[in-house]
Amino acid sequence: MWRATGTRTSHCSSHLRVFTHHSRKRCRYSTSASKPDEYDVVIVGGGPAGLALASALGSKQALRETLRIALVEASDLSKVHDWSTSPNTFSNRVSSLTNVSQAFLRDIGAWNEVDRERTAPIEEMQVWDGISDARISFSASEIGLEHSEKGMARLTENLNLQRGLLRLLHKIQGVHIVDKSKVHSITSTGPGTWPLVHLDNNQTLKARLLVGADGLNSPVRTFAQISSFGWAYDTQGVVATMHHPPRSVFENPNTTAYQRFLPTGPIAFLPLSPTMSSLVWSTKTPIAAALKACEPSVLARMINAAFRLPEVSLQYLYNRILESQSLGKLITDSEMRDEIRWREQSHAVDPNSAYSSSAFDAPPTTPGIPPSDSQMIPPLVTSLQNGSVASFPLRFNHTEAYIGEGKGARTVLVGDAAHTIHPMAGQGLNLGLGDVECLARCIEDAVVSGGDVGSYTALLPYTQERYFANHKVMTACDKLHKLYSFTAEPIVWARSMGLEVVNEFDSVKAALMMTAGSNPRMHRSSTNINGGVSRTVFDVAAAGLQKVDAANSAVRAIRSGILGFAAGGLQAIAKAASDAREKDANKMD
Amino acid sequence: MTMVPSRVLLGSSTVNASEIAHFSRLSAQWWDERGEFSFLHSMNPIRMQFIRQKFAETTLDESETKIDSTKTGVLMGLDVLDVGCGGGLLSESLARLGARVLGIDASESNIAIAKHHASLDSTLNSNLSYKHTSAEVLLNRPKRFDVVCSMEVLEHVDNPTAFLSTCAELIKPSGHLFLSTISRTPLAYLLTIFLAEKALRKVTEGTHTYSKYIKPSELIEYFREYRSLDNSRPWISRISGDLPTRTEAEVRGLVYNPLQSNWILAPRGAWGATDCNYLFWVRKPGPVQ
Repeated sequence: MWRATGTRTSHCSSHLRVFTHHSRKRCRYSTSASKPDEYDVVIVGGGPAGLALASALGSKQALRETLRIALVEASDLSKVHDWSTSPNTFSNRVSSLTNVSQAFLRDIGAWNEVDRERTAPIEEMQVWDGISDARISFSASEIGLEHSEKGMARLTENLNLQRGLLRLLHKIQGVHIVDKSKVHSITSTGPGTWPLVHLDNNQTLKARLLVGADGLNSPVRTFAQISSFGWAYDTQGVVATMHHPPRSVFENPNTTAYQRFLPTGPIAFLPLSPTMSSLVWSTKTPIAAALKACEPSVLARMINAAFRLPEVSLQYLYNRILESQSLGKLITDSEMRDEIRWREQSHAVDPNSAYSSSAFDAPPTTPGIPPSDSQMIPPLVTSLQNGSVASFPLRFNHTEAYIGEGKGARTVLVGDAAHTIHPMAGQGLNLGLGDVECLARCIEDAVVSGGDVGSYTALLPYTQERYFANHKVMTACDKLHKLYSFTAEPIVWARSMGLEVVNEFDSVKAALMMTAGSNPRMHRSSTNINGGVSRTVFDVAAAGLQKVDAANSAVRAIRSGILGFAAGGLQAIAKAASDAREKDANKMD
Repeated sequence: MTMVPSRVLLGSSTVNASEIAHFSRLSAQWWDERGEFSFLHSMNPIRMQFIRQKFAETTLDESETKIDSTKTGVLMGLDVLDVGCGGGLLSESLARLGARVLGIDASESNIAIAKHHASLDSTLNSNLSYKHTSAEVLLNRPKRFDVVCSMEVLEHVDNPTAFLSTCAELIKPSGHLFLSTISRTPLAYLLTIFLAEKALRKVTEGTHTYSKYIKPSELIEYFREYRSLDNSRPWISRISGDLPTRTEAEVRGLVYNPLQSNWILAPRGAWGATDCNYLFWVRKPGPVQ
């Protein structure tokens, strides 16, 4: 049983020795259960965000040498490390990693550890309105990305990423991993002291900085008394891995992501390989339950219908499924086939068109020239991977703060512990990786300037940079979700006009995509001792002005004069700073 | 634990009794990062940036070796004295970068707070110590330091020239003196006294006294004249365009950005940047060849 003591590891006697980082690290190491092990950073949670933070810190030599880092995870991480599966099956939990996220992973050396064969680029996106069919398309080549062949994002199984991160952590050996250990409780012995993490194996970790990468119901957040606001959508996300025939030589390869905004929620088709793709279908909770209860072939037919049939027919089909489920007699495959066939006939869908699902029952024996509209919608799903159908509730959550204060001081939240988001834009994991990249940078900045990585001063830049950035994306997704749930004609007309207009303006579209993180612009490390710091500081200052300006749109009119003045002054100094820096750089050469 | 009694300290020439009483009252708040001393907390990384930068520069000038900026041992093994350490904000940072740090303060309660706070971090106990004493008292002991820092202290002492010479004499030949203080300009009055103390009440009223502020030019002037007891060379021998050469001394402005509540180290020679808070560095001449 753990006893509350405020004492430090007293067997430490390094004042007798010449001070080195190594002796300091060694003497702080304690294995007994009664005395807590001291760490500079304790990360709770071995999901993608927690593992990425551990890797980011461990990959920097200066941090690896000075910081003692531990990662705590309740489950057995060796299962993730040894995860292997045949090339023809895919996990149903996938994320589209933006180029920014990929650049970050490459930077810390994790991208090399991810099995690239199992990832697929998204080179184009087709997004359309389920009612009006107003459409917007994005393509990597169109907006002039430097390496358009790499696509806008890469679809990656979460397990593939986690395994890659674990492989990297095993290589760099800088992070102490404590898995199969649940956090029993987190306590603090008084103001200013370091939090104590008690594990269910009787081990206690004392943390200079305690990082909550522990998901939606974060114990770290509870300890830090950070409240969270949000709501559950009355929707569930249905996921599955889908089989389909390959695209023909006359078509683009299977690198286009499709998303149709139905009034019940968006349905997305995300390419994994030439013949396999991943489904994320957000829909009303009862419909999701009914869809999951159907046999897989019925669900496959419904997926095809959801990308093809008009809303009125989909409503009818949902009702058929719900009705048959309530009667305890699930709709059969042939009944569903007949229903869909009849709906297609009544809408006069040409059987040779891509909008017809007739090929589901009579696949063409020889590949011919595809119908002209075949690229408008995803390939026809033929079957679902066994056991790949699952669902999860959708939530919107954002914590009030990312840093704990007072009794909960020395804590910080990243990833889902800080925010959960509607999955429609595939931004959840990317936001988490954005958090991790920023936090690792703040920790490094603090370490090189002798700061205390658990202090408010060290962590403040993290909140300043991430809170609003995350909020922006989260709110946009939430608003889109709500906007597309309307079926009233004026709203449909207005949003369709909006979508079509945006589709015509390349610059607006490019701007939209930049904020979705397609363009890798890596943050400069601000640790360059010879003046690089000043420039980054000025960048941050300038960014701060923009943020404040944007955040206070209500009072913007009044404040813009003052802000403009302040911005002008700071920009003048910023310019002088960068000039001076260049001069310095020349001198150094 | 030997503690120099307060009256001895107050008897020394530069310590001001009412200033010490003022900071003793506030000492419990030293480590409240969002409280009374929030400005000093946010200034600390920039002070450290300046110190690291000067060390990188001087190392480059002398040995043509570039210091790896990602390394944390820039101050490894150096003896550093922090005069007027307060709650130990700077001392702790210096110690984390490997220096052997002695923090001194004329307020006994400040030293108590600093010691308590350092005791919460077991990595600090080997190379950081605090003492309730004054710089004048240390002058009577043989120990001299590679670096003497005195941040935001000069504007609180009674006899600045005596204080500067005391600090200067505590430095080994070729050692470094780092100061930060506030210039005596209308802008400084407006920002540090009128706004910070009276209008916004971010800082307790009476913390600063305008007449005690010192202009950068006065510091430069002082070190143009100043000669160490054992060396006939002045610390600043060359001036070009009102500024000393970069290898002898440097003045850099500190600009507060209220929107992000952080400080910015203004570039060398930025116009008007040294009109309020500024950092000053000067180097003691090496031994006579």
